[in-house]
Amino acid sequence: MTAVVEAIGLSRHYPGDTTPVRAVDAVDLAVEAGEAVSVMGPSGCGKSTLLHLLGGLERPTAGELRLGGQRVDRLSEAAWARLRRRSVGFVFQAFHLVDELTALENVELPALLVGVSRRAAKRAALALLDRLGVADRAHHLPDRLSGGERQRVALARALINEPLLVLADEPTGNLDSHATGEILKVFAGLPDTGQTLLLVTHDPRVAATAHRLLGMRDGSIVDDTRLDDGLSRHAVLSQLAGWDP
Amino acid sequence: MALLARLAWRNLRARPGQALLLLLALSLATTTVTLALAVNETGNDSWDRLHSRTNGFHVRTARSYRLDAPPPATLTGSPAPTAAEVARTHETLTDMAGAAGVVAHSGPWPMLATTGTVGGSRLELFLLVRPTAPEPVGQPLVTSGGWLAGIDDEVVLEDGLASVLHVTPGSTVTLAGQPVRVRGTAMTVSVGRYPLYQPPRVWVSPPAAARLRAAGAVDIGATLELRLADPDAAPGFAAAHGPGLETWQETRAGSHSELTVFAATLLVIGTLLAFLTIATAAVLVAGRMAARSRQVGALKAVGLTPGQATGVLLMEYLAVAMVASIVGIVAGTLFSPRVVRSAASMYGAPQAPPITWSRSAVAIGVAATVVVLATVGPALRGVRQSTVRALAANVRPPRRASRLGRLAGRLGLPLPAVLGLRGVTRRPGRTAANVTGLALGIAMVIVGLALYRGARRFLASPLFAEAGDRAVNRLLFDQLLTIVFAAAALLVALAVINAFVVAVFAARDSARHHAILRTLGATPRQTVTSFVVTQLAACLIACATGIPLGVLLFATAAGDDLNPVDLPLWTYAVVAVGALATYLVTVIGPARILARSPVTTQLTYE
Repeated sequence: MTAVVEAIGLSRHYPGDTTPVRAVDAVDLAVEAGEAVSVMGPSGCGKSTLLHLLGGLERPTAGELRLGGQRVDRLSEAAWARLRRRSVGFVFQAFHLVDELTALENVELPALLVGVSRRAAKRAALALLDRLGVADRAHHLPDRLSGGERQRVALARALINEPLLVLADEPTGNLDSHATGEILKVFAGLPDTGQTLLLVTHDPRVAATAHRLLGMRDGSIVDDTRLDDGLSRHAVLSQLAGWDP
Repeated sequence: MALLARLAWRNLRARPGQALLLLLALSLATTTVTLALAVNETGNDSWDRLHSRTNGFHVRTARSYRLDAPPPATLTGSPAPTAAEVARTHETLTDMAGAAGVVAHSGPWPMLATTGTVGGSRLELFLLVRPTAPEPVGQPLVTSGGWLAGIDDEVVLEDGLASVLHVTPGSTVTLAGQPVRVRGTAMTVSVGRYPLYQPPRVWVSPPAAARLRAAGAVDIGATLELRLADPDAAPGFAAAHGPGLETWQETRAGSHSELTVFAATLLVIGTLLAFLTIATAAVLVAGRMAARSRQVGALKAVGLTPGQATGVLLMEYLAVAMVASIVGIVAGTLFSPRVVRSAASMYGAPQAPPITWSRSAVAIGVAATVVVLATVGPALRGVRQSTVRALAANVRPPRRASRLGRLAGRLGLPLPAVLGLRGVTRRPGRTAANVTGLALGIAMVIVGLALYRGARRFLASPLFAEAGDRAVNRLLFDQLLTIVFAAAALLVALAVINAFVVAVFAARDSARHHAILRTLGATPRQTVTSFVVTQLAACLIACATGIPLGVLLFATAAGDDLNPVDLPLWTYAVVAVGALATYLVTVIGPARILARSPVTTQLTYE
């Protein structure tokens, strides 16, 4: 299969007082289309930085990065922005919704940025909100939504342009079990549409929902395990909000 | 207390840019207020110096020979007095010169009225007869050329007359149809400066007076100047010796009335600036509170009371107010002679007045009041929020969707513009402060331009055939224009500072918002455009309100001769474009900083 994400010697070093801080250090990684990958590791091990590098929010100090076969590590800020519109969807722990926009407008935004008409964007956004169970909250500002609702809106916003790659940074970190279950249910459906998921988490139960688990320490990937699709995953998921995949 | 002071000092050092902006805004207000108070003192100082150098009068009078006769239609049209009338007047004045308390006198000296041509302008003039030897009281100070030499075809012109009509020693002027040579120019406190003081005065020697009297100049009265043993007794002396006497205090107070108007106007502008500075300072304080809510939360968590937390903030800004007061006191005092120099009534080059406690107290009071009013509200609001919320604080999210942004979306405006317009109403207080300051500045520019155009049209009218009238009106208009344009410049300067402050804090507030947009695929240019649109919207509102306000102010304040406002339409367009361009230049710095700020820093901050 073709690798959607391919990193070779990907590094991000920051200047330190005496020696450089190696937030991400010579990471080699290939993630295939339709694959769901969890990244785990202690705080400060570079998980989020890796995610930011893969989504172009930070620039590598060394190494190569390919997205959908295209080399992207040398793209300009504007070129990365255009690529991100279509190919990358971000989900954050803190939701990061635009406070001034309603739930519907937040979801429409990426579609409008790629040039979809307002009418089509609205239709697609409403459909997604409906699929995620928050259509009745479409005209509310984020401040009026619960944490779970906000994250579902954020997820809808990440998915509206059907990106190749969904990058989720602790997406369930601020949610209760029920809301976590709702989010994971959506993630579980992504491989069916050929979308790739890279998920940073501290929660082993959430990590267990992926096809593959990467362990990180001191900026490097120290463990790369393929999880079976059998009993262990099912057991973990069934504990979450009584959800039965 | 020491701990709070140390914390306040650390906070100031950590944000020198913000302290500098507040210092600038406060200094504008304190400088203007100090200037307003110093201008009068500078005028007085200039008068006092000339009074001292010329051994000036304490009481003076100019008495008509024909007190009982009805006033003539023109000054030169009165019939010559009889010898008895002249003798009686001189006798009265001589008696007065010998009154108790008088230690020296000058006069009585005859005064004649005539017409003449000076520097090509035909004028009515008063001729003041003086001896060639220096007089003990009010001997005019020669400013160029020499004093009267007793030659019958030489005269000395009052300094203001010579300077306005560009006549220098050695020139020839015509008095009562007789050509006479200008021997010099001079000034004294008993004679005001032309053109504010009319008719203009010319000093002539007794032989020259006799020649001009023969040529048609008419004796109209006599002057007397007295020095008293006790200068403060002048009002009592004047009251005791009948009407028509003027004390040195009265002459001094009225000698620069146009400066008094100027000072009053400056005081109004200074007060207006102080009010607007409250808005600037409030934006800074509110911005600081938003940025510092974590610190406040931490301080409260370790046991600081809300009052103490407010005290830290107040201490910071009072320190800035203190520095701004010193800057204002020094700058206002030093600028005062420069401002006064252009005044037509000034005798010689003005000097800076000494710094006084009363003036300093006013400047300190203005700065401290601004800071207290601006700090207490936002600071109390900030410290009242719960400690937990403060520790987790970020910009307070809106509770209602922006109608303006929704309308912009419906109108099909580009996405960055729609997003920008949504942000306009996010901080209504800041936007209002920003718009008010800018609108007032724009209004003053319009008033200035309308006044300039109206004055030119008015001065070109046939009403001012007389050079003196034209000169007086030109001077008055020049002074008015100076005031209006100075006010406009100060207001615009403060508006620019305010706009910059607002833009800096708006950039900080919206940094997270823009970082989110960039994660969704908005380019840096799109996010900057969105930010600039938000900021320019305030400027557009200011133009839309400031221009009509300026027209309205001018229409209300200007007299019938200057109304209606007849500025061409392109002038309004130029003012609006100029305001927008200035504003754009002001906000582009914060916008570029916003564009350069890394996305991940903003998103991980929460």
